Amino acid sequence: MASPCATSAPEAALGVLPRSDGSAKYSHAGYTVTASVNGPIEAQRKDENPYEAFVDVIVRPAAGVGGTRERHLESILQSSLSHIILIKNFPRCLIQIVLQIEDTPENDYVNTKLVQASLNFAIMPALFQTAVLALLSAGVPMRATAAATAVAVVPQDGVKKTVVDPSPRDIEIAQSVHVLAFTSHGELLLAESEGDFTVKEWDGIYETAKKTCCHSTPAKDGMEMVLDEEASAGPDMRHFLRSTMESKVAADLYWK
Amino acid sequence: MPREVEPSLNEKQFVLQALQENLRLDGREIDQYRPLELTFGDQYGVADVTLGKTRVLAKASAEVTVPYTDRPLDGIFTIATELSPMTSPAFELNRPTETEVLLSRLLEKTVRRSNALDTESLCLIAGQKCWSVRVDVHVLSHDGNLIDAACFAVVAALRHFRKPDTSMEGGVLTVYTPAEREPVPLSWLHSPFCITWSFFGDQGEIALLDATWVEEQIRVASCTISLNRHGEICQIAKLGGTPVDAVALLQCSGVALTKAKEFSTYLDGKLAEDTKKRNKGGLLAELSAENDR
Repeated sequence: MASPCATSAPEAALGVLPRSDGSAKYSHAGYTVTASVNGPIEAQRKDENPYEAFVDVIVRPAAGVGGTRERHLESILQSSLSHIILIKNFPRCLIQIVLQIEDTPENDYVNTKLVQASLNFAIMPALFQTAVLALLSAGVPMRATAAATAVAVVPQDGVKKTVVDPSPRDIEIAQSVHVLAFTSHGELLLAESEGDFTVKEWDGIYETAKKTCCHSTPAKDGMEMVLDEEASAGPDMRHFLRSTMESKVAADLYWK
Repeated sequence: MPREVEPSLNEKQFVLQALQENLRLDGREIDQYRPLELTFGDQYGVADVTLGKTRVLAKASAEVTVPYTDRPLDGIFTIATELSPMTSPAFELNRPTETEVLLSRLLEKTVRRSNALDTESLCLIAGQKCWSVRVDVHVLSHDGNLIDAACFAVVAALRHFRKPDTSMEGGVLTVYTPAEREPVPLSWLHSPFCITWSFFGDQGEIALLDATWVEEQIRVASCTISLNRHGEICQIAKLGGTPVDAVALLQCSGVALTKAKEFSTYLDGKLAEDTKKRNKGGLLAELSAENDR
């Protein structure tokens, strides 16, 4: 079995689906998600809001039917994405985001129940990131971009260790799992936690997550310095979003 | 929900007239498929099929459950096709459209009822435990000829899939995790493929293979032939009101056979390539605890 490396760099492609307004495929830490965004389109009567657009998020598991866990993830994503999309610009409209999970890292030590799909928290960053990339690809006006990361506190040899982008094995033994998202201005957008933890631990997690999501690259520092920092802090999500968009725009405008 | 845009009268006339002059909008031959591409995922049982701009992802999975009381010796095999709004905003969740019902019916008839997967081999303890194999078909992008692409994806996913190995000792069933024993392939009997012909014109005199979305909206009838590479026909579904000449249908099934053979060779090649990629150092045969039949 080819088990994906947990520390692998994220990969993304924009505009992968020809028939939707915007789409993105994103894979990181063993998770692969494809998203399509259609919007602003006509909303159903029941979803219509005279003051703002309705953001509809649909999470579809790779295998099995979605249940309450998927609905829970959808509601979390919906509320945090509504904050960054300029929904007031499109009254009575619908912005539809469909997230199709393609791959999740498998735990080789457990036989998974698949017919009733049950997602865990660790997939949240992948879902969030894909949604943001697809929204960018669809050209939906947003207040800021955002990046998310998952952090787990894993007890190891009596010492608590913070793990960024935990593997299914890590989550199984973790004391607490946290998902945090930050906007490109460095503001906290989403904080969801599961398990036991203290306030002090959470502060540490906040710092780690913030560093991953939006550590600003100091302009005056040398290139070597930056590389060192990146190696220790894992992938820099903000930079990643930016470079993905840059390469997409460069490819689209190559004739200019 | 927004409705799909129908082609305008001008567009319809243009496509039809071009077809009468033996021309297709994308410059293909009458019996030529768009480039078919198949990629397997990192996991077993994930097949991503691209046919032009149509893209279908199929994922096979298995778990141990209780068999149906009326079929204690059979395992459970289901194909789930649900078109999400990702395919087109016109599709709604939990509200099946005609396209979706037709697709699931045809896949059911082609793969399940033709006994492509031996369901008896999925039985573990008669009446108590069996494997439930499920294939989820996700349509990511729909640009015509969904049926052929979906059927190919389902067959590819099932043939690529490996279920956990099991053993029975003294009435105790053990299901091994992938870390303990290398998973085993399903007992697969034959590979059926769907070939869809679309008919155009007042008498349905023009026949096309692999219609695009625009062509599908204009066609007067369609005929889906499911067959394997030995020419054994699993089902024929002729849909649409316009009658089609019987001799024309015979010719269609003749061409369908050559296409099914091409599909079969392509799939075999891809599967062999994937096995070779996974089998680094040739140790997979030693890991397997399965006996040859």
